[in-house]
Amino acid sequence: MSKAAPHKRRRVETGTDLCQVIAAPIVWSLHFLACYVWAAIHCEKAGRMADLDPARTGIFVLTGIALALIGFNTLRLWRIRARSLTDDDFDYDHDTPEERHRFLGHVALMLSVLSGVGVIYVAIPAVLVGTCR
Amino acid sequence: MPVIASHLHAWRRNPNPWLGPATLALLAGCNPAQSVLHPAGEDAAEIARLFWVMAVGAVVIWAVVFGAAVFAIVSRRKPTTERGADLVVLFGGVVFPTVTLGALLAYGLTLLPDWGPGEPPDLRVHVEAEQYWWRVRIEGPDGAMIETANEVVLPAGAEVDFHLTSPDVIHSFWIPPLGGKMDTIPGRENVLRLRPTTPGLYRGICAEFCGASHAFMAFEARVVPPEDFTAYLAAQAEPASGDASAFVAAGCGGCHTVRGVVELGATGPDLTHFASRATIAGILDNTSEILREWIAHPVAFKPDARMPSYDMLTDDQMDAILAFLGGLK
Amino acid sequence: MTDAATREAQERRLEKTWETPKGFAYWSDVNNTSVGIWYIVTAFAFMLFGGVLALIIRAQLAVPEAGLVSADTYNQVFTLHGTVMMFLFAVPIFEAVAILILPAMLGARDLPFPRLSAFGYWCFLIGGVFVCGSIFFGIAPDGGWFMYPPLATEQAGIGADIWLLGLSFIEVASIAAAVELIVGVLKCRAPGMHINLTPLYGWYVLVVGGMILFAFPPLIAGDLLFELERLLDWPFFDITRGGDPLLWQHLFWIFGHPEVYIIFLPAIALLAMIIPTFSGRPIVGYSWIVLSALGTGFLSFGLWVHHMFTTGLPSISLGFFSAASEAVAIPTGIQLFAFIGTVMLGRAQRSVPMIFCLGALATFVAGGLTGVMVAVAPFDFQVHDTYFIVAHLHYTLIGGMLFPTLAGVHYYFPFFSGRLLSRRLGIWSFWLMFTGFNVAFLPMHLTGLLGMPRRVFTYGADRGWSELNLVSTAGAFLFAAGFLVFVWNCLKSWKYGEDAGHNPWKAGTLEWLSPSLDIGMRSIPDISHRYPLWDDPDIVRRSLEAEGYLPDAEEGKRETLVTTVLDATPVQVLRVPGPSFVPMVAAVGLGGLFILSTFHFYWTALASGLLYLAAQIWWLWHGAAPIPEKTEKDVGNGLVLPLYRSGPQATGWWAMFITMTGDATAFLALVFGYFFFWTVHPEFPPEGSVTPGMFWPAAAGLLTALAWGLTLAARLRNAAGAVTTARFLLGLSVAATLAAAAAFALGPLTRGMDPTSHSYPAIVGALVLWVMAHLLAGAIMQGYCLARSLAGKMTPDYDADIWNVTLYWHFTLFAGLVTAAVIGFVPGAQ
Repeated sequence: MSKAAPHKRRRVETGTDLCQVIAAPIVWSLHFLACYVWAAIHCEKAGRMADLDPARTGIFVLTGIALALIGFNTLRLWRIRARSLTDDDFDYDHDTPEERHRFLGHVALMLSVLSGVGVIYVAIPAVLVGTCR
Repeated sequence: MPVIASHLHAWRRNPNPWLGPATLALLAGCNPAQSVLHPAGEDAAEIARLFWVMAVGAVVIWAVVFGAAVFAIVSRRKPTTERGADLVVLFGGVVFPTVTLGALLAYGLTLLPDWGPGEPPDLRVHVEAEQYWWRVRIEGPDGAMIETANEVVLPAGAEVDFHLTSPDVIHSFWIPPLGGKMDTIPGRENVLRLRPTTPGLYRGICAEFCGASHAFMAFEARVVPPEDFTAYLAAQAEPASGDASAFVAAGCGGCHTVRGVVELGATGPDLTHFASRATIAGILDNTSEILREWIAHPVAFKPDARMPSYDMLTDDQMDAILAFLGGLK
Repeated sequence: MTDAATREAQERRLEKTWETPKGFAYWSDVNNTSVGIWYIVTAFAFMLFGGVLALIIRAQLAVPEAGLVSADTYNQVFTLHGTVMMFLFAVPIFEAVAILILPAMLGARDLPFPRLSAFGYWCFLIGGVFVCGSIFFGIAPDGGWFMYPPLATEQAGIGADIWLLGLSFIEVASIAAAVELIVGVLKCRAPGMHINLTPLYGWYVLVVGGMILFAFPPLIAGDLLFELERLLDWPFFDITRGGDPLLWQHLFWIFGHPEVYIIFLPAIALLAMIIPTFSGRPIVGYSWIVLSALGTGFLSFGLWVHHMFTTGLPSISLGFFSAASEAVAIPTGIQLFAFIGTVMLGRAQRSVPMIFCLGALATFVAGGLTGVMVAVAPFDFQVHDTYFIVAHLHYTLIGGMLFPTLAGVHYYFPFFSGRLLSRRLGIWSFWLMFTGFNVAFLPMHLTGLLGMPRRVFTYGADRGWSELNLVSTAGAFLFAAGFLVFVWNCLKSWKYGEDAGHNPWKAGTLEWLSPSLDIGMRSIPDISHRYPLWDDPDIVRRSLEAEGYLPDAEEGKRETLVTTVLDATPVQVLRVPGPSFVPMVAAVGLGGLFILSTFHFYWTALASGLLYLAAQIWWLWHGAAPIPEKTEKDVGNGLVLPLYRSGPQATGWWAMFITMTGDATAFLALVFGYFFFWTVHPEFPPEGSVTPGMFWPAAAGLLTALAWGLTLAARLRNAAGAVTTARFLLGLSVAATLAAAAAFALGPLTRGMDPTSHSYPAIVGALVLWVMAHLLAGAIMQGYCLARSLAGKMTPDYDADIWNVTLYWHFTLFAGLVTAAVIGFVPGAQ
């Protein structure tokens, strides 16, 4: 066993695996920041008596874009690697690059779903709040 | 620190302890004047309801989660598959929280202030929080400002906008039975809208740490029937009268305005109708013995208070000042 | 296969190489086990100090209108209690535990930068003693642990300066630890330990390290602005001159909220190690937990405004943060359910660590649920700054951090002492603490709802809080008694505890492989499972019989393996340095710089700063990436690895990259400050302001780009073998860098901008100072490379120095160009 050192089994190792894991949360972060900054600047510049509608429209558009990106990411991951939203990690030996690849794809998929929920949560205030007060 | 217990203004006079759902034995004995759970205003009542909903939910969820953990340790009957445990995580950790938290979020958001220029308040009160007291200006029906200090009198049922700011450090304006708090921030004017409903005596406090006497920065909030409020406003608008010579000679007038009598400076609290107030400096019973001690040693009651000590006054001077202040009904 | 005699000789060489120095030289040790134990003991010592402060608070509040301490003393006590518990216990204990156990868990002999760990420790110790000591002179900070201006900026005395400078210094230590730990997890895992085989603790450390990089720098930027206001009167937070106190609140809480998770996640990580062991099976939902750690890491950056719900921000802003604050409960819940699932499938063994785990769960879930409640903004309007919040935060911190950490101490005590803690005392201490804690803090929910605000040094007898407070005080003392039992247990068992033997808990992870702490494992085995000790029964024998890698230390040098990030393929033998006093000297120098500045002894502070710089350069010159005596070596099993790497394959390059990421975050926080002012002012810069103009900023930007280009060209020429050209380019680059620094200064100076007059010139000044400091450091680095090249320590083949310096310059170029654009080209700034 120790003779068959794993580096001999080495396949391609790229950084893209890690990037895909954090892609969806990054979309969430950008969406969150953009919504907050947009509304904050709008209310600061237009005054606290102002209507929120222009910023709300923007927030809905941003939410649409963010959800589309995350949805696309989720679908892609679902189709390529991991057809499960649960951990589903029991049936595998984990010590190959393929398994590592599958695992990270799976984590990415679940994070993608979580980020989608996060984006929807962040959009709820824009639905329910109508003024800058 | 001198012993101050005997002087602190007692808040036991609340005529209307509204217990609401708080019928717990524990709460029955407590003082409702500063309590979140004894609402006397619309906002506080909504938030108290929100609290009870969340509190019951939280207790149930805690019991279920902790019960599951204990059961998992104690039970000898194990789920047959790892798939089963996986589903526990999926439903307990993902599905249930997502739905519950989303609903709670929406519920909470509907209680946030959300009013536009088309919904003006019934009354505007301008409050400046200063180390360590409250300057209060009530906007009269004619737009005139009527200034008082360390007391806020409000008409029951009216929607009141508090315009809050501070000239020195950040404080926070809070009357727990009426509703949430709002910070008073130098350079900003925050607006807090409340609708008191139940007449009574309540205690307002500073909720943001503001220095040595933060613990002593309080005021009396009095909710009165609307007709009483009209009378109050009219009385407060009247100028005062009396013999202010000792007051002026001691230099008090340099900081304290008594409208119609001394209008030299206004860095300290306005004292126009001082004798009609329940408290000295928001915390002490308004009696002439206590007032004598306060004037002689303000920092003994409020560490770091800006008012200098007047312990050099002769008894005659002090008596004259007390007589003058006592006459400011 | 090697015979017994050879193995014996190897083992002696290994032991000699990794031996802990004796006598006074013990304090020069840099090995992760010594530093880790010092770190843990020191953090617990500070915790005891913070606990005494808590007892003073509780004693004062036991009865209404008590006179035990004055208002002024009380304010110092509660400020210091919060500060000590957060900065001197909760965050450092994570670093401490990670430094101690991480290498063994990953199958490394040490962390990649032992001297950096030691440096961080000495910074922590010096800064901590300085901040704590101030209370004995009555000059401790008294503005609350959040130091809100204008209260804190206008305070007389040096309390606020002690807080700012002392803690900035400790933040440096935290970032040092973060760099160390991230590189450790990514690059120093045992061969074959793919990233999906990494122990969960490693994942958490990775996430938390990343969070530190993005959370601490904004506070450092805030500290810088704050101190500039206090020392030089630059009005960042003074409203009369265009400042805004809310800017501080934003910067503080952008740090402050992720910090809560920085504290919480590593403690939960300990549970993720303990629970599988005592359930006798692998964790359920490994990927669930990785997902939730990552998810929490991200979401925790969207929560900061929930500390500012009552500052009068628009409802819509509160809504966003309310939403994110609710969302973060989802990944947190996933982790807890994964633990429950694990216990459900396994056979739970009853043990002291498990009792603490269960206590942690009961407490933390309660704190989490009140957290969900206060995340609902309207409810927070009522309970913000009341004892309800005090109860909430102690439930989360004690349930989410202290109890798990104590579970971890009970669990890992045999790992670093070879002895077991007493079970009887452990159970006693748990029940005392758990009961005491709940007696103290459960009533506080009600105290808060009855209107008791935080940070009051006394209260009136008529408020109806007297009984509740008396109960809380009694509970606090019970809690303290429980903690003393725990301390006694540790002290007693350290000497007289039951011998633990090998792997006393029958755990499955790698840290239990080896009985020896100093050398780590006898040889580093290949890993093919998540719980190698369970799934690979032969692994202990292979390791002990020297069949793994690095079974020997032929050259008497401390060595560990460097592997690739994802699949842990071995790529290098890393030589790590041995004992040295340099980290201590450097920490003393840097500490002197901060501490002496507090007392306004600027010249001695400068001298101390130079001592630091000298120690730092000596440290790098004599130990960073030395040229090895041979290019590669056989590490066992026929695997031959290089001894030297440069560029992205070297650990040093990664460390530079990670450090500079944190540095760039701090810079962006300053830029955020500029645009914050732009947002809150109708016009910014205000009409008629003096500006730096366009010429000098443009020139400065171009010169920065030139200096960057020359540095990059020098690296490329050097690699191509054109050493003389490279040296020439480096010399030129130093000149360009200095010219760029001068050009940045000349804009504001020639136009006569006065930073004390308004927040606009002040924030421009802060940006310019920041970039100039980085340019000067950049010039020193270029000069350093030139000197290394001339001294023959940097050659075309051994060029890690210039690789790292070039990387530094990529970031400096970014900061320079952004600064030039902001001060010279933002509308209105001409």
